[in-house]
Amino acid sequence: MDNLLLMRGGRRSPLRGFLIRLAPWAALLTLGIYSAYLILSRGLNQTNMDNRFVFGLWIFTDLGVIALGAGAFFTGALLYLLKRRELKAVINSAVVLGFICYSSAVVLLALDVGQPLRAWFTFWHPNAHSMLTEVTFCISCYLFVLTVEYLPVILRNRRLRQVPLFLVLEFQLHKVMPILAAIGAFLSFFHQGSLGGLFGVLRGRPFAYREGLALWPSTFFLFILSAAAVGPSFLLVITWIVSKVSGRRLMPPEARRLLARISGYMLLVYVALKGADTLVWINWTAPAAGLHPFWFYAYQPFGTWVLFSEIVLFGLLPALILSSRRSRGRWLVPAAATACAGVLLNRFVMTIQTLSLPTLAFDGFLTYIPSWQEVAAFAGILAYGVLVYSVSFRYLPLYAQERRLTLDSKAERHVPVKEERHVSVGV
Amino acid sequence: MFPWVYDFRWEPTHLIFLSLFFAVLLTLVSLLMLTVTRTVRALRQGTAEAIRWAEDFHDLPDSSKACRHELTGEVARRTCARGFDCRACEGHATFPSAPAAPSPAAVGDPPTADILGFHTPADRLYHRGHTYVQPEADGTVTVGLDAFASRLIGRPDEIFLPPPGSQLTVNGTAWRLRKGTAEVRILSPVDGEVTEQGGDPLGWVLRVRPAGESLDSRHLLRDGEIRPWVLRELERLEGLLSRGPTGISLADGGAPIEDLASAIPEARRDEILGEMLLEP
Repeated sequence: MDNLLLMRGGRRSPLRGFLIRLAPWAALLTLGIYSAYLILSRGLNQTNMDNRFVFGLWIFTDLGVIALGAGAFFTGALLYLLKRRELKAVINSAVVLGFICYSSAVVLLALDVGQPLRAWFTFWHPNAHSMLTEVTFCISCYLFVLTVEYLPVILRNRRLRQVPLFLVLEFQLHKVMPILAAIGAFLSFFHQGSLGGLFGVLRGRPFAYREGLALWPSTFFLFILSAAAVGPSFLLVITWIVSKVSGRRLMPPEARRLLARISGYMLLVYVALKGADTLVWINWTAPAAGLHPFWFYAYQPFGTWVLFSEIVLFGLLPALILSSRRSRGRWLVPAAATACAGVLLNRFVMTIQTLSLPTLAFDGFLTYIPSWQEVAAFAGILAYGVLVYSVSFRYLPLYAQERRLTLDSKAERHVPVKEERHVSVGV
Repeated sequence: MFPWVYDFRWEPTHLIFLSLFFAVLLTLVSLLMLTVTRTVRALRQGTAEAIRWAEDFHDLPDSSKACRHELTGEVARRTCARGFDCRACEGHATFPSAPAAPSPAAVGDPPTADILGFHTPADRLYHRGHTYVQPEADGTVTVGLDAFASRLIGRPDEIFLPPPGSQLTVNGTAWRLRKGTAEVRILSPVDGEVTEQGGDPLGWVLRVRPAGESLDSRHLLRDGEIRPWVLRELERLEGLLSRGPTGISLADGGAPIEDLASAIPEARRDEILGEMLLEP
């Protein structure tokens, strides 16, 4: 039914089956939209956050998806600026993932901030002294960049390409991609850093408070590094999942190895710096606040195992596997998934665990369970991501080499012209 | 914070932040405006078809881009980098040049040649997209599908022809056709204006008045080039048919049956027609 919308040679399941498989996600998205309506119309009393526990599920998700979505800017920068041509095979997928992650983050931020009719205040009356102002500006700009980057991918659809306007627009947009990639890298660099920079002003939360160089706390650099490190890993994991679900080969081995290697090396640097940062915090920052660092780990379930997991199990281990030249293909995806889990754990620690711990003498350990509206909004965002990616994968050329890679190996070989046929030349 | 907002006071941070922010914003807006301007200009200049072919050609596998001089055995291996437009190829001029287009006087008494059962009259010129060009006495040229494509496609279910007066460009879309759920465009072998539409999609399809004083046919295959090209195309077709789960294959030395497309499973027809007719 939708055959002429599908990419040529990109075999997809029948439309009916596709729609049936998407139906539960569409239902989840509907629930998410309903909960968003409740939150925006009735206010943040629909959540279980309060003046004391202000970072909830949404902020954790925001920080998480923004880090995972860094694959878009990083892959774009590697391809367009550093000319790593191997990544051309995955760049469209990286852009779509980035778009999904950043648009999700903006939606969740809008829910978190509330007052949608005054959303423009952020831009008109910004607080230039707030890191979050820079984050807001950068994320808005970068979402705009990602939308422009996504546009040519959409216009590449087989049916849309038949319209001369779309064909030429797509061609012209491709010409400015290197500049967009550079702007994207610039914006990402700053807002990833600014999200981390937030912890340089959290003096009232000694568990997360960090010092650093001049304006920038250590977390400024750690957030940038960790995002750049797991962005390629996230791309690897998603490609693997889509490949398994669709039964298609999507990524050439050289692109997979390159992504894994880059992710691994960056993760190694991140783990080293994170280790150093932790030592500085243990020996100087926390004692300077009059607190013993291991006092923070006395509150279960957040024992020292969290710190160990974050740095060693979900950091060093995948970093070694991903960066090793001897790593076999089957270990790369689990390692990449572990690295992604590691950065999510880090963001969880920096938000939820930080706010759970008491800071004053009369404070107690707080627990926070998100309300069903918060969970529904989160689930809605997840469903939105699945839907956008599924539709994009079906109708758009997300993986440039999908067709070639999926072909029977027999067809990969060049068929030489037979001798007898040469003889007939000139007849 | 902004200067036009009440109680605004300049500070160095404002300057840095606003400069960076507006520089980024200005760059983005300028880029978009530049893109839109270029798009409008390209559309006005009618380069859409050239862009389409450039992108399609880029996406073709190397096996489909063999130079005509590789086909004839003049060089061992040479991949075309000019979109099969030898008129713009410096390398083409260095090879022994092919004879000029057949004279209109030869029309009416065409020598015929059968290549594995494909009727390929030698008074016609052939385009790599499987169209033929036959010069007519009145200065126009007749354009149609060659025997290979006719046998591959069979009778199409639908054909979308350009109306008389339309301008065609070499390697641009000449017409489109649909066969079942497969739809494919046919490349134009000549620059010119459509003067007449043919009736039978298996016969001649369009009559075109070539642009310029006469037909520039340097990019079209002729004479001794036709046979090795058809053989190479057969190999490509065999390779395509033997891929995947279809199990269809041609015995070596055999020729495709009439209306082969109808025998190809629906799921693969679009892919095979597209690849053979150079629309990846």
